[in-house]
Amino acid sequence: MTRKIAIYGKGGIGKSTTQQNTASAMAYFHKKQVFIHGCDPKADSTRMILGGKPQETLMDTLRETGEESITVDSVVKTGYQGIRCVESGGPEPGVGCAGRGVITAINLMEDLGAYTEDLDFVFFDVLGDVVCGGFAMPIREGKAEEVYIVASGEMMAIYAANNIARGMLKYADQSGVRLGGIICNSRNVDKELELMEEFTTKLGTQLIHFVPRDNIVQKAEFNKKSVIEFDAASNQANEYSELARKIIENKSFVIPTPLTMDELEDMVTKYGIVD
Amino acid sequence: MSLELKQKERCGIINPMYNCQPAGAQFASIGIKDCIPLVHGGQGCSMFVRLLFAQHFKENFEIASSSVHEEAAVFGAVKRIEEGVMTLAQRYPDLRVIPIITTCSTETIGDDIEGTIRKVNKMLEAEFPGRELHLVAVHTPSYNGSHVSGYNVAVQSLTKTLAKKGEPTGKINFFTGWLNPGDVKQIKHILSEMGVEGNILLDTETFDAPTMPGKDAFAYGSTTVEDFENSANAKGSISLCKYQGASAANFLQTQFQVPSVVTNTPIGIKNTDLFLEEISKMSGQPIPDSLVEERGRAIDAMADLAHMFFANKKVAIFGDPDLVIGLAQFCQEVELEPTLLLLGDDNSAYAKDERLAELEKNATAPMEVIWNADLWELERRVKEGQQIDLIMGHSKGRYVATDNKIPMVRVGFPTFDRAGLWKYPVIGYKGAEWLAETIANTLFVDMEYKKNKEWILNVW
Repeated sequence: MTRKIAIYGKGGIGKSTTQQNTASAMAYFHKKQVFIHGCDPKADSTRMILGGKPQETLMDTLRETGEESITVDSVVKTGYQGIRCVESGGPEPGVGCAGRGVITAINLMEDLGAYTEDLDFVFFDVLGDVVCGGFAMPIREGKAEEVYIVASGEMMAIYAANNIARGMLKYADQSGVRLGGIICNSRNVDKELELMEEFTTKLGTQLIHFVPRDNIVQKAEFNKKSVIEFDAASNQANEYSELARKIIENKSFVIPTPLTMDELEDMVTKYGIVD
Repeated sequence: MSLELKQKERCGIINPMYNCQPAGAQFASIGIKDCIPLVHGGQGCSMFVRLLFAQHFKENFEIASSSVHEEAAVFGAVKRIEEGVMTLAQRYPDLRVIPIITTCSTETIGDDIEGTIRKVNKMLEAEFPGRELHLVAVHTPSYNGSHVSGYNVAVQSLTKTLAKKGEPTGKINFFTGWLNPGDVKQIKHILSEMGVEGNILLDTETFDAPTMPGKDAFAYGSTTVEDFENSANAKGSISLCKYQGASAANFLQTQFQVPSVVTNTPIGIKNTDLFLEEISKMSGQPIPDSLVEERGRAIDAMADLAHMFFANKKVAIFGDPDLVIGLAQFCQEVELEPTLLLLGDDNSAYAKDERLAELEKNATAPMEVIWNADLWELERRVKEGQQIDLIMGHSKGRYVATDNKIPMVRVGFPTFDRAGLWKYPVIGYKGAEWLAETIANTLFVDMEYKKNKEWILNVW
């Protein structure tokens, strides 16, 4: 049974990095078959898996050669540890409709049968926020059943995570999507763990893993590799392995209970990170 | 007597009676000479509208589509405008105006029409130096308003873009609204009788296009770019339809101090009287005897019919707001009782329409006015046994009439199930005469078919 997972979180929080490292850890340490569908118009969800290979996106192919010529082979690339990758791509910033691009791309991949039965996990890596119906596509009927939100102990990241939970709430009833947990991608701010624990409790979910900050992530990324490929013996690789294991073994799937704006303000003030 | 104005209560629409904003914008555009509108959206947005025009007029009209497909929706579709305009410019050397009419999809993805127009203007200048070609942005997402507001938006955009201050022309602008060519012809007839020069926006009389040896198969309007330019230099503006075109007249008043008068749509005797008085006031020309005679002839025809055949007959009217209200006013003049008026868009401003208050005052039977209505509002009432003796509206309502054996007078747009109706006026004294006689003849046929006192027709 393939588990489909959507990763959301504030822009720049490290969604794609976390997601690619987790996927790599799943494949390398836990021998899972993984597929990554990048749903960000920037198309940067798979570069560490593919060794920085610029991948022709699905929407580019659609634009240049037309829908008829799109096949699984022409748009799906295989990278590190046999992880299969596709990027939706999308318009230049400021024009067109990236949300529509996500809908088109996911529909096409489903029509083509790209998400095969042998897969253990399919990851949808979605941009910053659930700004419109298109970016909610991965959590709509028959798509991802689990959502993980990447956050950190910074105010805006928490606001964004809360907002995403609100977006999820809309679809929870009609599509059955559930929140699997919050991944803290640490920024080394004061009392980060405590804040995150309070926030996740209030959301009705769990802090599934606290990923410490380590420069090896950036180093590996610079080398166009995941931490696991770069140095599987490193402590950070072990952290991602832990995160991967927790996701694999996760049994906690909830409908989130987003906070009101006042509750959020109070909580953030309490931990003294308003400035 | 009471007049109840309310919104349709039921959710959803069953048998819609209105079209979309782009349809209205396209109707305005085809009234212009040397003009081809470019509908920026999927092909259906122009194809179905063209089909409707062709059905109504039995004529072809030139309307272009930017043909937005999936990838254009994702990546932005402004390139389709660039290509569309350049292709039109190349193929049609006489083309002078291209209204760029947006649709649901292109408004939602947020295509920058004004910015693209600036860019395409430079491309045109490079490719066709010195050529005059006006690109006009017309924003008409169809989830907003209806063809009524779409027409209004288009006339306003065209006026705003093209009008420019120059020498006074001494003419009067006539913003016709979405009337039929027969009505436009009637306006011109009145003006010629009064010796007044009009600037008709938009002049659709030429839609009655003759088939001539060697001539092509298309029909065109005859309002020119200059007519729009000079709208700023007129003595004043008279708008015949409050909801269709009056905004443009009000713009001219604010921007160029051209006095604007919005009259009741001149359907029926009283409304036509008011219309002529406004023209006379604005132009200084008296109302000539010839029109007084026309008035007398209309009244004579109406008097022959009113009390004997029309009195207390309940009428349901649906269609464009100005037409429906005007027809209701006419009905009251001939003792018909307009009891149900259906307006198809969600315009809550109808509550402020003074004509409705006047209708209420003159009503001899309770009236209902439903906005955001559909044709089921009519059919349901008929099926529930509400007395409706006559239906007036466009051809989309024909099955409500035929299925329930209610006589129906086709009027407005589209009237594709009767021949040539659009050539006849409903406005002016001639329009009043035509309406009275058409209603009577429709009722007479019904009497014959239903064997309902049809012997009266022998002794009348």
